[in-house]
Amino acid sequence: MQRRLWLPVLVTALALAGCSSSKKSTTAASSTPAPAPSAAASTTAAPASAPASTPAAPASTPAAPASSAAPAVSTASGNLTVWVDAVRLPDAKAYQAAHPNVKMNIVTFDGDGNGATSLQTKIQLWNKAGSGWPDVIFSEQVNDPVWMAQAPFNFAADMGAALGKSVTSQWPAASLAQCTVNGTLVCIQDNLAPVVLWVNQKLMTQFGYTVPKTWQDWQALGNKVATEHPGYIIGASGESYGAWQYFWANQCPLESNVSGQKVTINVTDVHCTEMASLLDPLIKNGTVPPLSVFSPDFAKKYGGTADKVLMMVGPAWYTSVFHDTLKTPSGEMTAAPPLQWGTDSPVTTGQIGGGPWIISKHSSNPAAAADFVLWSTTVFNPPSTSPDYRPGLPGYGPLQGPWLTGLTSNNYWAADPAPAIKAAASQIWSGWDLVTYPDQPVWSNTVVTGLVAGKSLSSLMPAFGKALGQAAKAAGYTVATS
Amino acid sequence: MRLTARGLWYLTLVVFALFFVVPILWLVLAPTKVDNALVTSNPLAFGSFHNVVKAWDHLDSYSSHLYRRWIENSLLYAVSATAIVIATAIPAGYGLALGTFRGRKLVLTLTLIVMIMPAAALVLPIFLELNALKLIGNVLSVILPFAFYPFGVYIAYIYYSTSMPRDVLDAARIDGCGEWATFRHISLPLAKPVVALVLFFSFVADWNNFFLPFAVLGTSKQYPIQVGLSDLLSSTPSFNPAVGGGGQTVPIFRPELALATLLAVVPVLIVFVFSQRALVRGLLGGGVKG
Amino acid sequence: MSDTPRTPAIAQATRKRGLRAGGLGRKRTQGNWRGLPFVLPYLPFLIVFGVLPMIYALTLAFTSSKGKFVGLSNFNQAGGDFRFGDAFAHVFVYTAVWLVALMIFVVGLALMLHSRASKATATFRFLYYMPGALAGAASVLVWLFMLDPTVSPASFILNHVFGIHLFVEAIAPGHLPYIFAMIAFWTGAGGWIVVLYGALNTIPSELEEAARIDGAGAWTIALRLKLPMIRKWVAYMVILSFATGTQLFVEPQLVNEASLGHVPDTWSANQLAYQLAFRYARFNEAAAISVDLLVIGLIAAVLIVTRTGLFKKDD
Repeated sequence: MQRRLWLPVLVTALALAGCSSSKKSTTAASSTPAPAPSAAASTTAAPASAPASTPAAPASTPAAPASSAAPAVSTASGNLTVWVDAVRLPDAKAYQAAHPNVKMNIVTFDGDGNGATSLQTKIQLWNKAGSGWPDVIFSEQVNDPVWMAQAPFNFAADMGAALGKSVTSQWPAASLAQCTVNGTLVCIQDNLAPVVLWVNQKLMTQFGYTVPKTWQDWQALGNKVATEHPGYIIGASGESYGAWQYFWANQCPLESNVSGQKVTINVTDVHCTEMASLLDPLIKNGTVPPLSVFSPDFAKKYGGTADKVLMMVGPAWYTSVFHDTLKTPSGEMTAAPPLQWGTDSPVTTGQIGGGPWIISKHSSNPAAAADFVLWSTTVFNPPSTSPDYRPGLPGYGPLQGPWLTGLTSNNYWAADPAPAIKAAASQIWSGWDLVTYPDQPVWSNTVVTGLVAGKSLSSLMPAFGKALGQAAKAAGYTVATS
Repeated sequence: MRLTARGLWYLTLVVFALFFVVPILWLVLAPTKVDNALVTSNPLAFGSFHNVVKAWDHLDSYSSHLYRRWIENSLLYAVSATAIVIATAIPAGYGLALGTFRGRKLVLTLTLIVMIMPAAALVLPIFLELNALKLIGNVLSVILPFAFYPFGVYIAYIYYSTSMPRDVLDAARIDGCGEWATFRHISLPLAKPVVALVLFFSFVADWNNFFLPFAVLGTSKQYPIQVGLSDLLSSTPSFNPAVGGGGQTVPIFRPELALATLLAVVPVLIVFVFSQRALVRGLLGGGVKG
Repeated sequence: MSDTPRTPAIAQATRKRGLRAGGLGRKRTQGNWRGLPFVLPYLPFLIVFGVLPMIYALTLAFTSSKGKFVGLSNFNQAGGDFRFGDAFAHVFVYTAVWLVALMIFVVGLALMLHSRASKATATFRFLYYMPGALAGAASVLVWLFMLDPTVSPASFILNHVFGIHLFVEAIAPGHLPYIFAMIAFWTGAGGWIVVLYGALNTIPSELEEAARIDGAGAWTIALRLKLPMIRKWVAYMVILSFATGTQLFVEPQLVNEASLGHVPDTWSANQLAYQLAFRYARFNEAAAISVDLLVIGLIAAVLIVTRTGLFKKDD
C-alpha cells in the first residue's frame, strides 16, 4: 500500500516544490538610490489609505509640506520584503494597495515582543548564510535596534540618511535619542508610548470615587476598592513590562547610566523600594493581580461583560486593549494624567514600547524600504473608528494632532483621553536607557512567577536585581549597583 | 474475588485510555466551535461544520496560504528523505547484518553512537557544514540531514541478523546467485515488514522533527508544519493577544489553532493506521520519539 | 535471537558447501568485502551527517573561536553561565520523572494488555498509540489547551485536584518538569507499549502454560516470567528515552512562546546550547554543552548495558 502510494506522492511533492522554489523573489536592482523618498508618493497614497473621512484627510496635508521636495513616485518600486506584527499588517497591506509598483512580500511575525530573542537568532542565521534579510522590520521591542546596530549583528541601516533630517526632526528629541546608537539614528519609532492612568469613568462615578493624582492616592483607592467592591482592579502586575509600568515611572534605576558596555542596576534605590512597598498590599488584596491584560484569563475575569477594570496603569496604545482585546463596553473608559509620587516634580512616567521600524543594511531596495517606513509613520492614519486604526500616538509630530482629534471625536470614550496622552508624551523619564538584552523575560520569570505563587513584590526585588545583572553580564555589560 | 481483579484491570485500562484519547477528542471537536464557545460550552460538545469551514478560511488566509505551504514542505521533506532512507538504510542493514567486510563492527558502532548523540550537538556542526556547502536556504539543507537515519539502519540490521537465516543465503550462493541477485530475489521480498517499519519511523520522525528545520531555515515559507505551528502560536492573538488587536487582522484563535494542529497530524495518522499492524505483529523495533 | 529452523535439506546443503568451498582459506578471502557494496550508499550520510558533525562538535568544544586548543575552558565558561545549573537541573528532573513513568506505566500496561489478550485489548493498544502521531509541536499545542482550566475537558481535575484556576498557575516553574514529562509520556508511551507487547509475543506460550499449570497467578506470571524475558527491550527503551529526554527542546520552547516569556527560553540544556550558538554566536560553549549531554547519555547507556547484560547475546 505504502509503496504504491509514495511514488506518486513523491512526484507530486517534488513538483509542488519546484513550483514553490521558482517563486523565489529575485531582488530587482533599485532604480534611483534616492535617500529622501518622494513626497509625491505620500500624497498620492494618502487618499487611498484614508477612505473619505475627515480626521484622516488632514493627515495628508501636513505630510506634504513636511517632507522635502524629492524624486518622483517612481522610486518606490521593485521587490520589498517587510516583517510586521499583526497590528501593523493593515498598514503594510494598505501600502501595497497604494503602491502597485512595489511587489511586497509581507511576513507576519510575533513582532519579537515580550523580550523574545527570535530576531537575534534569525539575523545570525541570515548573516551566516549571506542572504535572507528582510528589507524592513517592525519590532515591538524598543531595545531591538540597539543590538541590531552593533556587532555581531550589524543589521540596522542609517535611518536618518534614509528618511532625511527634515522628516526625522519632526519626532520628539527623546524618541530620536532612543533610536540613536553610537551617534547614528538606526530606527524610527512608530509611536510614543507614555504610561497614563486609564480610568473607567462610568464605574468611578457609580462608586463615587475621584480620579487619583498620586501613587499614594491610587493605593488608598485600591485598598478601598478591595473592601467595598472586591473583584474590581486598578492595575495589573503580570505584564512582562511591569518594570516599565511602575518602576520606570518612579525613576527606579534598573537600566541607567548606560555608556558603552556599562549599566547601572540598583534595586535597593529608594525609588524602587518605595514603589515595591506601595504595590505589595494591592497585589495582595487582588486589585493589582499578577495577570497580563493579554491573557484569555484576564479577558474572561475582568473584560467584556464582567467589566471589572476600574483603572489601569498603561501606555497610550492601550486604546486597542480596551476596545479590541478586553472589549470593554463603550462610553466607559478615558485616560487621566500619569500618577506622580506625592508632590515630586516634574511628573515622570514610564514608556512601554514605541515600535521601532528598522531598515536592513543589506536591503537591495533601500529606496522602497525608506518609502515604506516613511509612509507608515507619516501618512498611514485611518480614522479612529476604522478597524485598522493606529492604536498608539504617532511619533511623527504633524500626525499627532489628527490622531488625537480622531481619538476625541470617537465616542467609544466616555471622556476625551487626548489631553492626558498628549501631556504624558513629554513626561517620560529620560533616566531609563536602552540596552542590548531584553529585561522583559527577566521580570516575567523572576517576578511574575513569584507573584503568582503568592510572594510579595518587595521580597522578589533582590532576586530580580540579581537576575537583571546576570542578563546584563551575559550580554557583555559591566554592572554597577549604585 | 476474580471479578474485582478483572474489574480493576479493566478500570485501569479505561482510565489510561481516557488520558490518551480525550485530548485528541477535544482537538477534533474544537474546530467545530467558535472561540467563545470553547470557553463557555462543554469541552466535548459538537458545534457545527460551518464553524470548521470558517476556521479553515481563517487559517488559510494567514499570510496568504502559508499554512498550505507548510504542509507541502513537510510532505516534500518527509517523503524525499524517507525515499532516500529506504534506498540506503535497508541495504545497509542487510550488509551489516550478513556481510563480513572489514570495518563492519566499526560502522555498526558508529551508527549506535550517533543514535545516542544529542541533537544539539549535531545540528550546530551540521549547520556549519551546510553553510560551507552553500546549502543554507535550500530545501536540501533539511532533506539531506533527514535522509541520514541511523535508527533505520539499526532496525534493518536487527531484522536481518535475527530473521534471515544465513543458511538460506548460503544455499542461494551455492546455486550460483551473486550478491545482488541474492539480495534482490531473496532478501528484499522478505524485507516487506522491515521496509514498512523503517518507512513508518523515518516518515514520522521527519514529519515531527522540529529542531533541525527550526535552526537552519531562515524564511517561514520553507518551514515544515511543526515549525510553522510554533510560528502560528507566537504570531496570533490566541496566545499572544498583544498582536492582532483582538484578531481583526489575524483571526487565528483557538479553534483555528486546533484545526491547524489537527490537519498537521493527519498525514502521520494515516501512516500510523497503516503501519500499526506491521508493528504489532511481534516484530521488533524500538520507537525513537521526537 | 530466534534459531533458524534446520531442515534436512538446508543442513545437507551447508555441509556440501563447506566441502566445496575448499576449507577456511577460500572463505576468508571471499568474506573480506562481502556486504560492503550494500552499505556504501549509506556511508556518505553516516560520515557527513553523523561522524563529521560529532568530530566537529568535539573539536569545537575543546578549541576557542580562533581554533586554538583550550582544554576545558569552554566547559568552565558554559558551566559558569548563570542559566547552566537550572537548565541541567530541569532536564534531570524531567528525565527522571519521565523514565519512572515509562518503566512503571509502559511496562505495566504492556503486561496488563498481554495477560488478557483480546479484541478489546487490541483496541486499547490502538488508543494508547494514537497520540504518538502528535509528537512535537502538535502535542504541546494540544496540552497548552488541556492545561488551561477555562477550556480544558479536565478543568474539574485541574480546579479541584490541583487547585489550578489559571493557565499561569498551571505553568508555574515547579510544575514544568512534570508537565513536560506528561506530554512526553502521552506521545511516547503508546509506541513503546506496542513494542513491548510485540516483545512479549515472542515469549513461547508453552512457558506461560507451564507456569499456569504450576499454579502461578497472573501477577506472578507477569512479574517473574514475562518481565525478565523482555528485560532487553525495557533496557533499550530506557537508553533511548534517556537520550531523547536529555535532548528536550520543543516542549519548553513552545511553552516559552505561549507563556509570553514566563518560562525562560533557556529552560532546558538543549535550549541553552541553542541560544549560545544561534543568539550569542558562542559556538564553542554550545558545543561544550552538547558534549556534556553526550557524555551523560553515554554513561547512562554503558551503565544500563552492563547492568542488564544487554549485549551479552551475540548480535
